Amino acid sequence: MSDPKSGAGTSQTKAPAKDPKKKDEKKEEDLSEEDLALKQQLELYVERVQDPDPRLQKVALESMRQEIRTSTSSMTSVPKPLKFLRPHYGTLKAFYETMPESDLKKYLADILSVLALTMSAEGERESLKYRLLGSEGDIGSWGHEYVRNLAGEIAQEYMKRQSEEAPIEDLMELVQQIVAFHMKHNAEPEAVDLLMEVEDLDLLVEHVDSTNFKRTCLYLKSSARYLPGPDDMLHLDIGYTIYLKFEEFAYALQIALSLDNMQHVRQVFTSCDDMLRKKQFCYILARHGITFELDDEMVADDDDREALQDIINNTKLSESYLTLARDIEVMEPKSPEDIYKAHLLDGRASAGASVDSARQNLAATFVNAFVNAGFGQDKLMTAPADPLSGGSSGNWLFKNKEHGKISAAASLGMILLWDVDSGLAQIDKYFHSNDNHVIAGALLGVGIVNCGVKNDCDPALALLSEYIGKEDSSIRIGAILGLGIAYAGAQSEQIRSSLTPILSDAKAPLDVIAFTAISLGLVFVGSCNEEVAQAIILALMERSESEFGEPLTRLLPLGLGLLYLGKQESVEATAEVSKTFNEKKRKYCDITLLSCAYAGTGNVLKVQNLLVHCAQHLEKGETHQGPAVLGIAMVAMAEELGLEMSIRSLEHLLQYGEQNIRRAVPLALGLLCISNPKVNVMDTLSRLSHDTDSEVAMAAVISLGLIGAGTNNARIAGMLRNLSSYYYKDASLLFCVRIAQGLVHLGKGLLTLNPYHSDHVLLSPTALAGLVTMLHACLDMKAIILGKYHYVLYFLVLAMQPRMLMTVDENLKPLSVPVRVGQAVDVVGQAGRPKTITGFQTHSTPVLLAAGDRAELATEKYIPLSPILEGHVILKENPEYREDS
Amino acid sequence: MSTRDKPNQQEPDSERFSSIKTKNKYRNNYRKNKLLFLFFKPKEQKKNTHYKTPNPKSRILSRSIPNSNPIMLTVIVKWQKEVFKAVEIDTSQPPYVFKCQLYDLTGVPPERQKIMVKGGLLKDDADWSTVGVKQGQKLMMMGTADEVVKAPEKGPVFMEDLPEEEQVVSLGHSAGLFNLGNTCYMNSTVQCLHSVPELKSALVKYSHSGRSNDLDQTSHMLTVATRDLFGELDKSVKPVAPMQFWMVLRKKFPQFGQLHNGAFMQQDAEECWTQLLYTLSQSLRSPGSSENLDTVKDLFGIELASRIHCQESGEESSETESVYSLKCHISHEVNHLHEGLKHGLKSELEKASPALGRSAVYLKESRINGLPRYLTIQFVRFFWKRESNQKAKILRKVDYPLELDVYDLCSDELRKQLEGPRQVLRDEEGKRLGLKANEKSSGSKDDDVKMTDAEGSSNASGESSVTISQEGVPSDKETRLTGIYGLVAVLTHKGRSADSGHYVAWVKQESGKWIEFDDDNPIPQREEDIVKLSGGGDWHMAYICIYKARTVLM
Repeated sequence: MSDPKSGAGTSQTKAPAKDPKKKDEKKEEDLSEEDLALKQQLELYVERVQDPDPRLQKVALESMRQEIRTSTSSMTSVPKPLKFLRPHYGTLKAFYETMPESDLKKYLADILSVLALTMSAEGERESLKYRLLGSEGDIGSWGHEYVRNLAGEIAQEYMKRQSEEAPIEDLMELVQQIVAFHMKHNAEPEAVDLLMEVEDLDLLVEHVDSTNFKRTCLYLKSSARYLPGPDDMLHLDIGYTIYLKFEEFAYALQIALSLDNMQHVRQVFTSCDDMLRKKQFCYILARHGITFELDDEMVADDDDREALQDIINNTKLSESYLTLARDIEVMEPKSPEDIYKAHLLDGRASAGASVDSARQNLAATFVNAFVNAGFGQDKLMTAPADPLSGGSSGNWLFKNKEHGKISAAASLGMILLWDVDSGLAQIDKYFHSNDNHVIAGALLGVGIVNCGVKNDCDPALALLSEYIGKEDSSIRIGAILGLGIAYAGAQSEQIRSSLTPILSDAKAPLDVIAFTAISLGLVFVGSCNEEVAQAIILALMERSESEFGEPLTRLLPLGLGLLYLGKQESVEATAEVSKTFNEKKRKYCDITLLSCAYAGTGNVLKVQNLLVHCAQHLEKGETHQGPAVLGIAMVAMAEELGLEMSIRSLEHLLQYGEQNIRRAVPLALGLLCISNPKVNVMDTLSRLSHDTDSEVAMAAVISLGLIGAGTNNARIAGMLRNLSSYYYKDASLLFCVRIAQGLVHLGKGLLTLNPYHSDHVLLSPTALAGLVTMLHACLDMKAIILGKYHYVLYFLVLAMQPRMLMTVDENLKPLSVPVRVGQAVDVVGQAGRPKTITGFQTHSTPVLLAAGDRAELATEKYIPLSPILEGHVILKENPEYREDS
Repeated sequence: MSTRDKPNQQEPDSERFSSIKTKNKYRNNYRKNKLLFLFFKPKEQKKNTHYKTPNPKSRILSRSIPNSNPIMLTVIVKWQKEVFKAVEIDTSQPPYVFKCQLYDLTGVPPERQKIMVKGGLLKDDADWSTVGVKQGQKLMMMGTADEVVKAPEKGPVFMEDLPEEEQVVSLGHSAGLFNLGNTCYMNSTVQCLHSVPELKSALVKYSHSGRSNDLDQTSHMLTVATRDLFGELDKSVKPVAPMQFWMVLRKKFPQFGQLHNGAFMQQDAEECWTQLLYTLSQSLRSPGSSENLDTVKDLFGIELASRIHCQESGEESSETESVYSLKCHISHEVNHLHEGLKHGLKSELEKASPALGRSAVYLKESRINGLPRYLTIQFVRFFWKRESNQKAKILRKVDYPLELDVYDLCSDELRKQLEGPRQVLRDEEGKRLGLKANEKSSGSKDDDVKMTDAEGSSNASGESSVTISQEGVPSDKETRLTGIYGLVAVLTHKGRSADSGHYVAWVKQESGKWIEFDDDNPIPQREEDIVKLSGGGDWHMAYICIYKARTVLM
């Protein structure tokens, strides 16, 4: 039907309307007989339309309409009737004006509206104009192209009318029609776009049906990431409503969580009455790491509620983690030497020292803790007493010096992570030590064991609150940090009332106050709790200028910032208060608050704002640029595009930035690619790890550990090994290298630090808070990590999660099924049922998922209750499944 | 846990208790609680624990019991992984009684028990009514009967706390030497000789007063200076400035003090080496002892048996001599150390022939008749170019092995002696390799050859030091040389000519690792890089090598 010579790909534009006139004339001779007949026929119709006889007019118009309609189905070229009618557009338009008001006039308007598709000049919106004047018949009868064009013009017209405050009812009616048409014809993104333009997304809910709601919601969700507030919220809200309407509860819950809307979460529970599905919701909530109490409205039965609450409380996390470990056969504890692999470094490694180095032993303590995290056994801390050396298992503990013993005792908590019952039992004996450092470590260890796991009896609170008021400041810090880590995100009033007085205690040392602020920030992360904010602000005000220069003071503004983590505008009132500080303090607080408040939003404007701060060259020794650089990473880490762009911007900062910026850049890179060893970032960090400025090098080394955290990445492991021989003389750098080595083999490769989960959609606030705290501490590596506050490294525990897919049956017992695991493919806006993964391999669960991996079930036998195969997924038997025989 | 298994408060279901240890029968009611105390007492004493038991009777008596029928609660107690269902609480008794009940169940002494009640700890003297425990509530108990962790009496010593001189041990190598102005020849010589532990121990024994009459003052001073310098090198982490040694050396051998343009001249390391060893051999000869031991000769001396043969006259004579080093002559056909050594043991000399009555060309062929513990090999890289009247350097590449076998350079007599020990060594090595093959599966770290090599050398050093200390004591076994030597130190020269360039010492440490001593800067090196110092380019090339004997106990 189409004319092959008239060119492909012009179907949707009106551009060719102007220039091809000459060509047409030339071509006239080439026209086939058939075409010529059509052309003459159309010309005749045009003439007839202008006939004074209304009957003739009507016949002509109808014939013309018939011709156009039958030909619009082609998508690759301008349909012939339109092409032949082009020269007559002006004539018809002129005639239209002269016509009296009648049905015929409307008929003609319809035809003009279609003709305007290719004829009307840019910005004239004639198609829309005649459409509104026309007979308002079925919009789809004129074809897709026409509808799309109309949609575009509506958007423009809407903007104009909005500015003129003209009525829009007629437009909205049209929008209704167009949206209905789009939704029926697999063009959900267009429908969403149009509704977005006319600011009436609510209309969408009426038009979705069971065939198209998934694609619609997918588009809504992914477009939300690129929208400025509050539009993104609106998008997600609509998505939530749609999911709820079609009982796709798991997705609805996901949106509710990303909105951080507990009302919505409740609603999901109350609208679903399937116990199994509720269990799945609980698994999702548990992975997100928020504290959530079920009530009898959500789950009526007491026993059921208890079972569900157990899942939310993560009580079985340790068990399934160990199941995973047994399945992958990595239960055997590893010693730090197994990680260092010094034998691969010929000759250059430092000789097996006969004397213990406190720093190297401390590094080994951390490596041991990170590598054996959650396994419940190791070769240093929990190993049974060696009869030859004749000592008890406390041997290794005492190979650490003074404050090193805090980290050593706390490492027991890391090794027994999530296993509250036996963890507390093993830590208990350290409470009876007469060494304050050991007690402090045991307190911190109790906090770490309870991280992300809630227990009815609140053992952490019971044990730790006794020690908060102790004389010795290291014991106090141990208890305070333990509370912060164990109850991160819990928003417990009891903790607030016991911790806030410390902030105003004039006698409390600075480090106690700083860690109290952080713990409060963690417990009330993202809560915008005003009382806590007030307390921290007051503590900040009381810091003198010289105290503000102390390295640990940076934790005070950060604690304040954590309260507003990801809360965007809610921070403004507090930011206003910080204006009363003097300039240096103010800038530091401003930047920290801003970066925390917009963390994980991907807000481009804030990234630019922060970049501006980094572009200044400071003379007065201000320190706010470090947090600004970290802030860029915190804001931009939300989505892939922004992430790539900020990696590029950070490269620029490296070249032009001041030294304090350069020191923060590796850390920012580490946060952007956490547990995701991108090769380009790896190379940048590898280069920086040899930087002449030792602090840049240290940050780069630690960040190498962060990007490879829990991946066992052989390339990073090799780099770090070489660095260990390169820096064998530099105790500080060697310490960093060791820590990084421990991180790369985090949980023997079963753990991830990525705060994003569920297909990179949900951001766990506590995980991010933990990471950010650790990174802020790394901004002054020498004073904090290499000083006596190395235990801030344990903040990473907040972000640790098994990177597994564990499928369980209806009784929550592990169930092994085949799954395909491959690189995730972006399927937003694609029609049909596109493949969601590529380059997959088939495994049987439990299975590990790397960054960017997605899994899908490779069997029809079961139906997963969560559409996102990550973490724990409950499988239900498929009733329609028939075994192939 | 739930209301389902809520037991009857007044009449405990006897079946329930069958699951709990038999001890639990004491917990049934108030009367039995009293019994429990009675039961408890002897146990406390036996266990020798020292907590104060509140006198239960007086407590109970002093307390006015409001109800003759006390309120009993049943709770669930969780302890570690165990769950004790249906533990009864007598609310008229202080919680301490409850804790004693738990002691019976768990064996954790009451004062080590921590009982968590909704975010708080249960105090011994708390009132149950204020604690708010409910029927069927789950309590969590924490505490272990484990031994309390105590710090070891002797805490570890940390490197960071050590005085500087002790930190050196952990560094794994000794310190460098500052260059005092073209003294790299001296520094590298000292570093190489410093690697011989026997020489060090011999020097330590050398006392100030030990100067014998036949030793001149300067030799004595140089020996003392050497001893002090070696001591300093072992103690220090930071590079040492060998001022004293340098001064004495110049005093003893004024040629090293030559000035050129106001600066000390470049010197030949070989000359320094030879002179120093000669001096030490003089001073370390201990005339007092019965054996008249010459330490230096014992360590480095090579006995050569030579046959001098005149082709013209057919005259033949033989002589023996003792040298401190073997020369490796470098000619066009020499590619390997072995060839050079063979070459070096053959020489032509012209001397007066008594038979012919004139001077004639004699051929001198030497063979090793006695092997030292440390075999020194000098590469004759510098020669006097007659035509240009200057010292020239031969840059030719001469490979040398990490393990040197001099068996075929030895005299027949010596070969016979060596045969036995060599067989033993081979057997040992075979055994060790076999053993290694088994061990490999359990994670052998190094490749086998290197491992045995390192072990062998450390064993050897251990053994030899033992023999030194037991010199007088006759033992059934003695160390025997095998004619096989392992490389322990290399002194290299870098540069095109003899009067310029740079000397560096490469020394194998006791740990088996190699350190390049570039004046004050010790740099770790890999073993495979050591054999690359064989010349043929502008890189460092070996000038003097020390090989250490592999010995066996027989």
